[in-house]
Amino acid sequence: MNILFLLGAILVTIGGICDLFGAIGLLKFPNFYVRLHAATIGTIGGAAIPLFGVALLALGTNIPHKHAIAGASLITGIITLLAAPAGATALAYAAHKTNAVEWKPKIDHLKEARK
Amino acid sequence: MKRLTGLLTILIITLGVAIYLAQNIIPPENLHPLGEYYLENSYFGEHSAKSPEVVTSILWDYRGVDTLFETAVFFLAIIGSLTIFRLNREQSEEAKQGEPKPQLPEPVVVVTKLTVAMILAVSASIALHGQLTPGGGFQGGSALAVAPLLVIAAYTKYALEKNGLDKTRAIIIRSIGLLGIALTALTPLLVSGYIMQNQPIFPGEALGVPLGGSLVLYNLFEYLAVGAGFTAVFLLLSIPEEKFKKFLGVRR
Repeated sequence: MNILFLLGAILVTIGGICDLFGAIGLLKFPNFYVRLHAATIGTIGGAAIPLFGVALLALGTNIPHKHAIAGASLITGIITLLAAPAGATALAYAAHKTNAVEWKPKIDHLKEARK
Repeated sequence: MKRLTGLLTILIITLGVAIYLAQNIIPPENLHPLGEYYLENSYFGEHSAKSPEVVTSILWDYRGVDTLFETAVFFLAIIGSLTIFRLNREQSEEAKQGEPKPQLPEPVVVVTKLTVAMILAVSASIALHGQLTPGGGFQGGSALAVAPLLVIAAYTKYALEKNGLDKTRAIIIRSIGLLGIALTALTPLLVSGYIMQNQPIFPGEALGVPLGGSLVLYNLFEYLAVGAGFTAVFLLLSIPEEKFKKFLGVRR
C-alpha cells in the first residue's frame, strides 16, 4: 500500500470524524459563539483537511489526470482554510457588536478593548 | 416518540421511491434527434458554431435570439430597480458622503482582499472560456458581481466609490456591454447575412484557440453588462436607510 494513499485516507477519516463532532456540537452547545466554534470545526476539520487528504489520495493512485485533481483539491483546501476563519470572525464580531447574543462570559476582552 | 415516527415515515417513503425509481426508470439509449444534431454540428459539422462547448453554441448561436430576449428581460429588471431608487444629483452626492473605513477586524479585511482578487480572475476565466468549458457571460458576470459585494460588506460602499466605481460608472460599463451585444447581433446584417448569424462572418479561431466566432464576443459583453448591472443595484441597496428616509421626507 502506497504511503501517500494511506496518509490521504487517514486525513479523509479525520475529516469525517470532525464533521460528526461539528454536527453534534452545533446541536448541543449552549450559545451562538460556542456553536460558531463547532461550525468552524465542520469547515476546517471537515472540509479543508479532507480536501488535502483527497490531494494525497489522488497522488497515491494511478488514475488519469491525477496531478490536476490533486492541485485542484489543494487550492480549494487552501481557499477554504483562508475563507472559513474570516467568515467566522466576521459573524462573531457582528454578533458581539450588535449585542445579539445572550451569554454570561467570565472575561470579555473585546468589550474591554472597545472601552 | 412522535418525532421518531415522523423520521421513520420519511425514511420509508424515501427508500420506497428510490427503489421504485431505480427499477422503473431506464436511461434512454438513443439521443433525441435534435440533441444529436447539436452534438454533431457544434464543432465539426456543416452548420458549425466553431465551438466545442455545445451548450454555449445553443445559447448564443442556434437559439441566439431567445437568449437575446432573455438578456433584455434581465436588463429591464435592472432598469426597473434603478428607476425605483433614482436620486437627483444632490441626493446622490449626499449618498456618497461617508467614512471609507473597514468596519470589520483585520483578518477579515485581509482575506477579503485576497478573495476579491481571486474572484476577479475566476469570473474572467468563466466568461472568456465560455466557448471552451462550461460557463459563459451570465455566469461569469454573476461571479464578478460578488467582488464589489464583498468589498461593500468588508469595507463600506464609500470605499468602492472613493476608488472610482460609483453608480454612474457601473451604469456606463453596463451600457457598453449592452451596446456590444447589440452591435455583435447586428453586424452580420451589414455583410448581407442574417441577424445574430455566427459563421462564417466571425473568425472561428485565433492563435490556435477556438473562439466560436461571435460566441466569445457575446460572452465578453454579457460578462461586463451583468457584472456592472448587479454592481449598480448593490451600490443602491447599500445606501443606509436613514439617508433614504431623509431623501424621501419620511417622518418618524
